[in-house]
Amino acid sequence: MHRLTTLLSGIFLVFLTSWIGLVAYPALQLGKLAPVPDADSGASLPPVYGGEAVAGQHIYASEGCVSCHSQQVRQTSVTRIDIERGWGVRPSVARDYLRDSTAFLGTIRIGQDLSNVGRRLPEAAWHYRHLYAPAAVSEGSVMPSYRYLFTLSKIQGQRSAEALDLSPEAAPPAGYEVLPTADAKNLVAYLLSLKHDYPLPEAGPVKNIPAAVTH
Amino acid sequence: MSAHLFPMHHSEAASGAVDSRVIDDSMRLPVLILFGSALHWLIAAALVSVVLSIELFLPGLLGGISFLSYGRLAPIARDLFLYGWASQAALAAGIWLTARLAGRPLASSPFGGVLQSTLIISATVLWNLAVLLGSLAILAGYSTGVEWLEYPTWASATLFLAFLLIGIWALLLFDRRTNERAEVAQWYLVAGFCSFPWIYGTANLLLTWKPVQASAQGPIQAWFHGSFLSLWLLPVALAALYALIPRILGAHLHRRNLAPLGFWSLLLLGGWSGLGHLIGGPVPAWMTAGGVVSSALFLIPVVIILINLLGIVLHHPEKESQSLSFRFLIFGTYAFLVLGVLSALISWPDISGIVRFTGVTEAETQLWILGAISLPLLGVLYEAIPQLLGRDCWCRTLADLHYWLTVVGFWLLVGVLALEGFFTGLALSDPTVSFLNIASYAYPFYVLEAAANLILLSAAAILGINMTRALAGDYFFPKK
Repeated sequence: MHRLTTLLSGIFLVFLTSWIGLVAYPALQLGKLAPVPDADSGASLPPVYGGEAVAGQHIYASEGCVSCHSQQVRQTSVTRIDIERGWGVRPSVARDYLRDSTAFLGTIRIGQDLSNVGRRLPEAAWHYRHLYAPAAVSEGSVMPSYRYLFTLSKIQGQRSAEALDLSPEAAPPAGYEVLPTADAKNLVAYLLSLKHDYPLPEAGPVKNIPAAVTH
Repeated sequence: MSAHLFPMHHSEAASGAVDSRVIDDSMRLPVLILFGSALHWLIAAALVSVVLSIELFLPGLLGGISFLSYGRLAPIARDLFLYGWASQAALAAGIWLTARLAGRPLASSPFGGVLQSTLIISATVLWNLAVLLGSLAILAGYSTGVEWLEYPTWASATLFLAFLLIGIWALLLFDRRTNERAEVAQWYLVAGFCSFPWIYGTANLLLTWKPVQASAQGPIQAWFHGSFLSLWLLPVALAALYALIPRILGAHLHRRNLAPLGFWSLLLLGGWSGLGHLIGGPVPAWMTAGGVVSSALFLIPVVIILINLLGIVLHHPEKESQSLSFRFLIFGTYAFLVLGVLSALISWPDISGIVRFTGVTEAETQLWILGAISLPLLGVLYEAIPQLLGRDCWCRTLADLHYWLTVVGFWLLVGVLALEGFFTGLALSDPTVSFLNIASYAYPFYVLEAAANLILLSAAAILGINMTRALAGDYFFPKK
């Protein structure tokens, strides 16, 4: 018994080191980060999500978007690629994730980084078309279709204002229209809210490039 | 058949050590059920992996079907490998090795043995139900979205409980061991069995059961990924190597005096090993530095463990083994070597900047799960099943086929992922090359990845056939 106790206490102490550094420290320090006021507007940063975006975050989780998409712009001391590629205007910092229920940092980029997708691609209609038929919008994309987040319905009288304007290859049969479900609307609201482009004291200067061009 | 592999070396074990047949009698059913159900999940996980890799180059094939979409299947495959296969095989290998090394049966009285094995079997049923229903929940869209912890709360809580009910016996058996001075394999077993509740409990508590503010979640996720592999699954796999390689060759560990340093440095650095996934990430700068340093220092335990184990093989070239188990153990040792070198290389900041988030990261993960962890566990399976059944039960042809398909499939998968990651990483470094253009470079690699996964699936299926044949015995497959 004596030796088991020695072995167990040794194991306990050794485990404790990484637990303190990577669990207790982050939970007590990074977990206590608070919003900061914007110097110009006085608004709280990072910006608060709307209710739709909060719901959309759960769709992002349950659809496993994190299996292919990261949400982090890396520090320039390690690489400038993320910023040069236009995935962000400054490196992401811990405070950027303050409003999320889960930090979807990701480990692989089969698709593009989404930390600033709301800034890069600010048009909801584009996202609907892309989720419905990715390859019809981005040729060569390996993203699967999320058709099941939409409904195909017969046009009753006038075409709905929400109906997707799809390219001929993805368009529904004549007399039908494609409408986003509540899940699709929430997911797109969440995607549009993804922006790490506001100034934070610890984040360093924001690279001064214009947001993606809308048409 | 090496029926008298245990106990050996420690002469003091003779005093009070129970005959190995009595030990095997006491734990036959629990260990067979654990290994058997693990094998089902290995085949299922390999099948889902094939579907996933086909979806990457034919995204239209199954697109638009909610429960078959890539984002839902990917976590299912990963979790089946981690919880269905590897953790369950580690439990099976772990309690069997602990009992054999301790020279003790599951319980001293026959009645007690029935009670304990019933408890372990019930916990195994719970474990498998949690894996099955948890996976179905992800299919149905109830994933938590936290990587490697996607199962809903009720499923993860069940896994946690089931582990306690099984794992406690490993610690009790170790405590009742007949060898006064514990051997290296026994240290690793104790470390592995102690770490699961700590790691899985902490990570679920802070990430899914009662999540902390998301700004703190990145380091905790990285800690969980690194610790789950290197402090729970790897120690059990290493225990298998330390227990079986010297016994099969009939030789002592090479430079045994280094083993404590290898053990303690692995435990110390293992918890930090996940930091490689945070280099340049949204965490304090010291964590990036820590990721680089810990991945480089991780070479210390890797080198020591290899000296201990491969040293035996290299210093006794005259000793050969025809054991089915032995070649998987050696294969696993080499996978561990490649893993250590690759991890150290890709955490160098300049290289990490290029290859992180590419297939290289996935190659590293597969070297962990399918290589350094799964291969030694397969080695234990090949050794334990005949001993538990008390007869030479493997079909040699099927076993050879399984081995060679695993060798080809594994190195093809790791090689393809690493090359794909390296090339796309270089292409990504040039901002003038569009992302979609780069995705088209990856296309041929995706096809090869599917081929590798198909080979691994057939390997797992062949092992499944061999296992069924072994368990069904001579009744269905009469010997000539």
